[in-house]
Amino acid sequence: MPEPEMPAANSADAASLSNAHYPEPDPRVTGAIRYAQDVELPDMLYACVVRSPYPHARVLRVDTSALPADVVALTPDDVRSLGLYGCQIKDQQVVAIERALYIGDPVAAVAAASPRAAREAAELIEVDYEELPAVFDAVEAMQPGAPLLHPDLAISDNDAAYFGMRPEPERNVCHHFRIRHGDIERGFAEAEVIVEETYHTPSAQHVPMEPHACLARWTPDGRLEVWTGTQTPFNLRMDLAGIFGLPQERIRIIAPPMGGAFGSKTFVRYEAIVACLARKAGRPVKLVLRRDEEWLTLNRHPATIHVKLGARRDGTLVAKQVTCWANTGAYADCGPGVAQKMGFASPGPYRIPHVWVDSYCVYTNLPSNGAFRGYGATQAVWASERTMDLLAERLGLDPLELRLKNVLVDGDRYCTGEIMHDVHFADCLKAVAERIGWQHGRRGKGLAVLLKGMQTPSRASIVVEANEDGSYTVHCATAEMGQGAWRAIRMLAAEQLGVPVERVHFPVPDTDIVPYDTRTTSSRSTYMMGRALVEAVRQLKEHGELGYGECINEGGLDPDTGQGIASTHWHQGAAAAEVRLDEETGKLEVLHLHTAIYAGRVVNPPAAQLQNEGSMIMGLGSALFEEITFADGQVTNANLSDYNIPAADDLPRITYDLIERPGAEIHGLGETALPPVPAAIGNALFSLGIHVRDLPLTPERVLEASERRSASSAAAV
Amino acid sequence: MAAMEIHFTLNGQPVAVQAEPDEMLLEVLRRELGLRSVRETCGLGICGACTALLNGQPISTCILLAPLAEGCDITTVEGLGGRHPVQRAFEEVQAFQCGYCTPGMILTIKALLEEQPEPDEETIRRALGGNLCRCGCYLKIIQATQRAAVLLAEERRRQVERSAASTS
Repeated sequence: MPEPEMPAANSADAASLSNAHYPEPDPRVTGAIRYAQDVELPDMLYACVVRSPYPHARVLRVDTSALPADVVALTPDDVRSLGLYGCQIKDQQVVAIERALYIGDPVAAVAAASPRAAREAAELIEVDYEELPAVFDAVEAMQPGAPLLHPDLAISDNDAAYFGMRPEPERNVCHHFRIRHGDIERGFAEAEVIVEETYHTPSAQHVPMEPHACLARWTPDGRLEVWTGTQTPFNLRMDLAGIFGLPQERIRIIAPPMGGAFGSKTFVRYEAIVACLARKAGRPVKLVLRRDEEWLTLNRHPATIHVKLGARRDGTLVAKQVTCWANTGAYADCGPGVAQKMGFASPGPYRIPHVWVDSYCVYTNLPSNGAFRGYGATQAVWASERTMDLLAERLGLDPLELRLKNVLVDGDRYCTGEIMHDVHFADCLKAVAERIGWQHGRRGKGLAVLLKGMQTPSRASIVVEANEDGSYTVHCATAEMGQGAWRAIRMLAAEQLGVPVERVHFPVPDTDIVPYDTRTTSSRSTYMMGRALVEAVRQLKEHGELGYGECINEGGLDPDTGQGIASTHWHQGAAAAEVRLDEETGKLEVLHLHTAIYAGRVVNPPAAQLQNEGSMIMGLGSALFEEITFADGQVTNANLSDYNIPAADDLPRITYDLIERPGAEIHGLGETALPPVPAAIGNALFSLGIHVRDLPLTPERVLEASERRSASSAAAV
Repeated sequence: MAAMEIHFTLNGQPVAVQAEPDEMLLEVLRRELGLRSVRETCGLGICGACTALLNGQPISTCILLAPLAEGCDITTVEGLGGRHPVQRAFEEVQAFQCGYCTPGMILTIKALLEEQPEPDEETIRRALGGNLCRCGCYLKIIQATQRAAVLLAEERRRQVERSAASTS
C-alpha cells in the first residue's frame, strides 16, 4: 500500500543546531516541515462532523436520506455495537447515541470527495432532538436535582486511568480526590488568624496554530492505521482497540509533528470518527477541524476553588482547607487526573501541619475539558497564592517573608507524606523578588510560587539502533509539538554515543516500531527518556547493534487520603510582576514579568528558553484576557477575533532565570512558568488595594473590585 | 459554481490554476499548487499563518478571494530559497518552536525590512501585530528581526562594494 509523504524527523531539526555550517535549512524556515494536517493518501475522502445544537438533548432520529449517493455517513446506528471509550472513565461513544451532552457534541459525520463537499453534505443531515434540562456550573451540578449526565459510568481500563478513581455519579462527580493530613479542626483551633476566600478561573482554549487533524485507513487484512497529531499514541491505541474490539497490535498510530498542542492533542479526539468513516467507505478518510470546532473539542477546566488558611500571628501556617470544583464538561477525558493534580498542588509548597483537600471533577453540559499546559496547577496557584497575600496583609507581613518562613526545604514532609528532595522554592522566590526590585518598594509588585507534580507513575522506553553507515536511530514514542523533545533526546543520545547530533536520527513515532511510552505530557519526556537512554546506550555498546532502555517512575497517591508519592520529582518556579493601573479605566498594564524556574540541568538552552518564554506569555494571556465565554452552554467567542491570544505588542518586559545545579537531574520546563504568572499579577494588583477573585483581570473586573473597595471604605467611615 | 482559470506569478514563475470563484487563495495555493507553507489557523485574517506577499505586501490568503490574485505577483516562503537573510536570522536565533507560524512571520519581516531597514523594537512589535505565535516565540522573533536587519545591511554593503569594484 502507498505510504504518505512523511517528514524525516531528523531533517525537521537536523539543521537547527548552530549558526555555523548546516547542510540543509531548517524545514520550519522553508515551510518544508509536514504536520499531521499535511498527511495525504491516494483516494482519500474528507470528513465533516455534525454536532448537536442543544446542550442536553435526546437524539430521536438522524436522517441521511438527503445525502448524495457518493457521500458516506456515520450515524448512531453505525456505532451502537462499538465499545465505549475514555482515557480515565469510559463515558463516551464514537458519536452520541442516546443523548447529546453539549452544544457541539458529535451526533453524526460524513465523508465526501472534498472538504467543501463534506461541509455541504453535513448540512443535509437532519437530526431530531428532544431537549433536556442542562447544567453548566460545577457547583450547581453537584446539587440534588441537577440533571445527571452519566448515571452509569465505568472506570477505564486504559493505562491513563493510573490512580484510584472515586466517582459519585449520583451527583455528577467522576472523581473525588481527598487529602487528609493532620487534624484540620485542631489546626484551625490553633490558628490565631484565619483568612477565607473563593476564586474562579475560567475555561480557556489551547489555540494550537495547527488544528486537530487525523487520517485513518483500514488495510486489506483488517488493520487500522491512523496518522494523527497526538501527544498520546499508546493511550490512543488502547482506546481504539477497545472501541473496535481489536488487539492493540492490530492498530498502528503514526504521530507526525504538530503545529502546537499544549495538552489539546491527547487521547481520542476524532480518530474514532475517521476510523469508522474509513471502514464504512472502504477508503482513507481525513479530518481537519475548522477553527471554531477547536472550542468544541477540548478546553481548560473552569475551576472554582475555596481556600481557608489559618496561621499564627508570627506567620507560621498551621491549617489549610481547600475545596476544588473542576468543571470537566460533558465527558471526563483526563479530568479526574486534572482534579487530582489541582488538589495536590493547592496546598502550595509550604509546611502546613494540618491540610484537608477535597477536589471534585464534575460533569456539566459544557464541551469537555482536559489537559491544558499547567494541568490544574494554574487554577490551584491562582487560589492558593492569592490567599497567601490576603494572609500577609492581615498579619502586616511582607508577602515574601511570609512565604520564605513557610516554604518547603529539602527533608520537609509535604502534606502527601512524601519527603521533599532537591527543592528550591526559596531560591526561586528570592531570585524573582530581587529581579523585580522588591527591596526598593512593594507597591505595584506581586509574587507567586508554584509546585507542580510530574506524571507519576509512568514508564518510558527507548531503542537505540546502530546503522551500517555509522549513524544511529532512536526509536521513541515521544511526540514533537514544538517543545523540542526530539532534538533534546537526539542531543542526549549523541552525547552518550560520542557522536555529533547529526548522526542520530529520530523517525516519526510509529507504534508498530517504537517501544511503549506513557505519553508526552506533564513535562516528563526529556527527563524520563533521558534516563531510559542511558541504559539503551549501555546495552548498545555491549551488544553492538541494538540497545533497549526503560525508565519506570513508581508512585501514586491514595485517592481517599492523598497519601503516597504524588511526584518523584517536582517542577518548581516562582513569578514576580510589576504593574501599573489606570484607575479611571481599570486597565492593568504589566510592566515587567520575571520568573525563576528550577531546571536542574538544561539540555538544549535555546529550546529551554523558548519553552519558558512561551509559558510566561501564555500565562500572561490567562492573567489578562483569555476566557471562553458561554451563553446557556453555547461558546460565544469561538474565533480568534473574539478570543484573543497574546501578540508581540502585548508583551511587557520579560526576563527569567533557569536555575541549574551541578549534577542535578533534568527537570521538565514545558509549563512550569505558566501557573505562577496570573497569581503574581493578581498579587501586584492587590498591592494597590484591589482584590480581584476571578480571572482574567479584565478592566471590568478591576473596576468592579475597585468600586467594591471604595464602597467598603466609605462604609467604614 | 463553475471553476475558473486564474493566472498569476508564483515565486517568480507564471502559473494558471483552476479555482471556484468564491474560493480563497489559501485553498488554491494548498490544493492546486501543493504549497504547504501557507496554513490555515483563524480563517479570519487575524493570525497570519496563511501569509503570502502580494506584490510585495503581506496579505492573509485565507480571506483573499482567489480570482483577485489574477495578474498579481505572489511570493510564499518556498520562493525565498532557504538562505534568505531573514530565514538565516531565524535559524541563528532559533526563533521558532513548532514552526507553524514561521513562514508567515518571515514574509512579514521581509516586507518590513524592505520598507524600514533599521526598525526599532516598537516598530517590529507593531509590524508583527498580524502574525500570532501560540508557542510564544516573540522575544526571539524580535531578536531575529534585528539580526536579519544586520544581515541585510551587510548584503547591501557587499553589493555596493561589488558594483563600486566593477565600475572602477
